Amino acid sequence: MSEPVNAESAVLQKTFELRILRYTPGRDEEPAFGSFQVTGAEGMTVLEALQTIKDTLDGTLSYRWSCRMAVCGSCGMMINGTPRLACSTLLRDLPPGPVTVEPLQNFPIERDLVISVDAFVKKIESVYPYLIPKEQKTVAEGPHLQTPAQMAAYESFSDCINCMLCYAACPQFGENPDFIGPGAMAMLQRYNGDSRDGGRQKRLDTIHGEDGVWSCTAVGICSEVCPKQVDPANAVNQNKTNSAFDFFLRFLRTEQPQ
Amino acid sequence: MNERRPYRRPMPGNWWAKPPYRAYTARELSGVAVAAYGGVLFAGLLSLSRGPESWAGFVDFLKSPASLLLHVLLLAAVIFHVITWFQTLPKTMPKMIVNGEAVPPKKITRIATIFAGAMSLALVFFVLGAAQ
Repeated sequence: MSEPVNAESAVLQKTFELRILRYTPGRDEEPAFGSFQVTGAEGMTVLEALQTIKDTLDGTLSYRWSCRMAVCGSCGMMINGTPRLACSTLLRDLPPGPVTVEPLQNFPIERDLVISVDAFVKKIESVYPYLIPKEQKTVAEGPHLQTPAQMAAYESFSDCINCMLCYAACPQFGENPDFIGPGAMAMLQRYNGDSRDGGRQKRLDTIHGEDGVWSCTAVGICSEVCPKQVDPANAVNQNKTNSAFDFFLRFLRTEQPQ
Repeated sequence: MNERRPYRRPMPGNWWAKPPYRAYTARELSGVAVAAYGGVLFAGLLSLSRGPESWAGFVDFLKSPASLLLHVLLLAAVIFHVITWFQTLPKTMPKMIVNGEAVPPKKITRIATIFAGAMSLALVFFVLGAAQ
């Protein structure tokens, strides 16, 4: 017979140091780091550490979160300088020593770890992020069918959770905040790559020029930091080809830009 | 306390020199080596069009230690460029669907790199054979 295990002692406790970039509008001229010591389970995530800080040390700490399981895309932040989801980053997987937590790079900071998402939402809206059916069918005529091969053409792009880690990783978005960026392009390709969709030309017309796909220089880190393997760099770069073709073949097209 | 004043952090001017962007910078810079080697070939073509003396001068330059060193460096840079270029290739092309499934990017890179290597070797053997 084994000894009964004390639940309290079964969970290994550990103390972590978090250096968090703090900013309160109206009070602070510019953001500055604040340091916190957090004791918790050895397997705690960065998000759990932030929640512990908010509960026990400083209730004014601001950050976004929701699902705690890497599907909502709310808790993206710079952890030790890399854009990551706080809920799926275990503190024990990070190098020993203080952990640096900052708001997502390249975005205006609203407060502490909260960034402005207005411009990003506008960009998503600009690419017609919905299916525009190629042919109208009545219910009696049945559904728009699709083969597995046709679905594979866009499936990875439909996994995007709008967490904006790719924007934080993109130096060209940092240089040009009007650049449409990897996330919105993944959204565009999700629909342009769909065999049932007929809005391709409409969407292509929104991405020509420097603020469209052409700010991208194929740095490719957006795809590396993506927590859902969406490969947004692929969405941007294959649309450079589409944009170029559209430029040279513009006299042949039947549908005119609006 | 409740006012809104978004703070935009400045973009560091040397982002390209720091990881993870350093690999991208090296990849793009190695393209300069490709252009430089194109310059060497063009200089050869130019001297060929100027007559035998000019061509002999170009061949003498190719035999010099400085030129050999330059060619070793350019070869290394071009090989690096080829490898990294094919690593980027899957990101620049439409999704390849075979038997209803997307071909993994690593597989595309591997096949394209092997193909490019084989073609380069075939070209080397062809030129060596033609020279004899």
